[in-house]
Amino acid sequence: MTAAIELDAVSKAFADRTVIKELSLQVEPGERLVLFGPSGCGKTTILRLIAGLEIPDVGTIRIDGRVVAQAGKNLVPPELRNLGMVFQDLALWPHMTVSGNLMFGLQSRGVPRREAELRIQEVLRQIGLQSRDGAKPHQLSGGEQQRVALGRALVLRPSILLMDEPLSSLDEERKQFIIRDLLDLQKQLSFTLIYVTHDRSEAEAIASRICYVHNDRIEKE
Amino acid sequence: MGRTVTTETIVLWACVAFIVIAGIAPIAVMVIDSLFENGQVSLGYYRELINAARFRPLLGNSVRLALATTVVCGVLGVPAGVLFAKSDLPLRSAFLWVLTVPFVLPPYFMALGWLRLIAHAGWLGSSWLFGFGGCVLVLSSVFLPMTILLTLASCWSVDRRLEEAARIVSSWPRVLGKVTLPLAAPGIVFSLVLVFLLSIGEFSVPNFLRYPVLPVLSFTQFASSYNFGAATAAAVPLVLIALAGVFIESGFLKDNVYAFRSTGQTLTVPLERWKAAFMIGLSTLCAALVVLPLGALFADAFSMDAFSEAIQRGRSSIVRSVVYSSAAATILMSFGFLFGHFMLSRGRRALNILTLVLFAIPGTVLSIGLVRLWNTSATWFVYTTPAVLILGYAAQYCAVTTRLSLAGLLQIPSSFNESAQLSGAKWMKRLARISVPLSKRTLACSWLAAYILCLRDVPIALMTAPPGYDPLPARILTLMANGAPPMISALCLIMASASLFPLFILARSLRSSHASR
Repeated sequence: MTAAIELDAVSKAFADRTVIKELSLQVEPGERLVLFGPSGCGKTTILRLIAGLEIPDVGTIRIDGRVVAQAGKNLVPPELRNLGMVFQDLALWPHMTVSGNLMFGLQSRGVPRREAELRIQEVLRQIGLQSRDGAKPHQLSGGEQQRVALGRALVLRPSILLMDEPLSSLDEERKQFIIRDLLDLQKQLSFTLIYVTHDRSEAEAIASRICYVHNDRIEKE
Repeated sequence: MGRTVTTETIVLWACVAFIVIAGIAPIAVMVIDSLFENGQVSLGYYRELINAARFRPLLGNSVRLALATTVVCGVLGVPAGVLFAKSDLPLRSAFLWVLTVPFVLPPYFMALGWLRLIAHAGWLGSSWLFGFGGCVLVLSSVFLPMTILLTLASCWSVDRRLEEAARIVSSWPRVLGKVTLPLAAPGIVFSLVLVFLLSIGEFSVPNFLRYPVLPVLSFTQFASSYNFGAATAAAVPLVLIALAGVFIESGFLKDNVYAFRSTGQTLTVPLERWKAAFMIGLSTLCAALVVLPLGALFADAFSMDAFSEAIQRGRSSIVRSVVYSSAAATILMSFGFLFGHFMLSRGRRALNILTLVLFAIPGTVLSIGLVRLWNTSATWFVYTTPAVLILGYAAQYCAVTTRLSLAGLLQIPSSFNESAQLSGAKWMKRLARISVPLSKRTLACSWLAAYILCLRDVPIALMTAPPGYDPLPARILTLMANGAPPMISALCLIMASASLFPLFILARSLRSSHASR
């Protein structure tokens, strides 16, 4: 079976600091991989390399068997990699409503308006925010914003979902609630999940596999 | 129990009082004055102005000129600003430097440059320059940097993560159109409102290119007839337009200021195969708007005779310009910093509107007010000194140093001040030991911006400087009537050097301090 994501001897440095060194990693379709490790160890950079927001200095990245980036070149731009990403600070567009945030990606991908609206309604129902579709991000609670960010990534029906410490600002109770929702959605939609965290309990609750990232490489799985 | 008045409150009100004396009182006095005719309350001046056959065409010309300049600046400046902020275009900073030059010079320099260019290249013909088209061309080149720089700054302030989130699902043109530009819109709109207001109040270029507009009428009423009432009546429509512009801008900003943290780095759009086309486009723009006219203006300056005559006839004005501008810049930097500091905690909207109104009011109008207020026997000791000039500069440009200071102060985490407060430091001590040391770069930029604005100012210099105290822009205008072109060119070059040299030094020092961090 072709791996959903494959990193082959990937290295990445910023200025004179090496963040990732000869990293090789394979993620199977439908897997829930958690990259776990202390702050600054390069977890986020791995996600950004997969997303195409950074270009590897050396090595190759494949998504569904297709080479998307190779030593200094992005061969497939981020928007064509069919993945969704939830950022650590959510990055909800403040000038758009909840629906607008969900609609943006659908319109960019040329989904017809009628179908896009149906998909937004479906996702809003899944994340429990049907009544908040006209609200702007600053009018939502932290938990609601978290769910919008998740919905925005899922509405595109990505084959891969990348999550960069999305729950770090939430209290324990709300965290558990969202993790439960996330696992339900993953079971339902069977996307591949790569989740970054430095919280061990969060990692254990989500993962089907945990990789420990330390000193610019994966030290143990 | 009585309420304790804090040092902060006293300083705040002292600053407000200064600005009211420098800017609001002159405007109020002249407006009141225009409502009296022969000691009686009367709308006679206004009736006369409105009924005058020339009023409507002049108002129409002013609005048309301002609108056309704003459209040109928007069409050229916004894409250029986005290009400078977001692309990997080579030589970006060189292009930016070149395009910024006209803004740091007195506006009529560009008109003079075009005139010289036409004289050098006779085939261009001069009739098109004198009139609407010439004014739009010159004013657009003067105010274009404002649109470019504010668009650039606004694009830089958009959080890169918001763009990255869009980049995951969309291509660059759509990310720019739907995320970057809407988030940068308040800054862009602000720049266009400023261009409109500065163009409608601009006096030296339409006067030089003989295009009749309201500020020229107001100046003529004041300078040739010394008729305050009529000059004020002609100026009031400009004041009303300035007020409307400021309220529209602040109303727009009120609903469009988004709270997000900038990561300090912007995402870059790779231009790839479009790079050459953009390079050619920008080179053409720089050549057409800046290099050709200024090249023609300065070309005559390079001779010993021209320089020695320029120094001989303009030496004292050169010194005065630098001294007055430096003094005013120091005052403006201090007041701007204090206002910025106050705006962090309270009264942001009121102070913002107060300073912005004074910035938007045309210099001719403010100058008439200053002369009207201070030209009395009781205040002769102020009127006959450069103090009036410095008061005018302070009122007109306070908005710039205030906004620059506020932008810098917002970068300092509030916890720095709060922890100092908790450790017992009083307001003055916190200001001196925390805010000022952490704002050195902001203060330097603010001083320089104020210095350049004062140095390039024409209407205040021309109308409020007492006899024998004229700064260089006013002196050059006077000498233009009978001075030899090479000498005028040499004076213009000296003036340009006085503006550009400190700017160059600051840019170098900012770059080296940035590199050493």
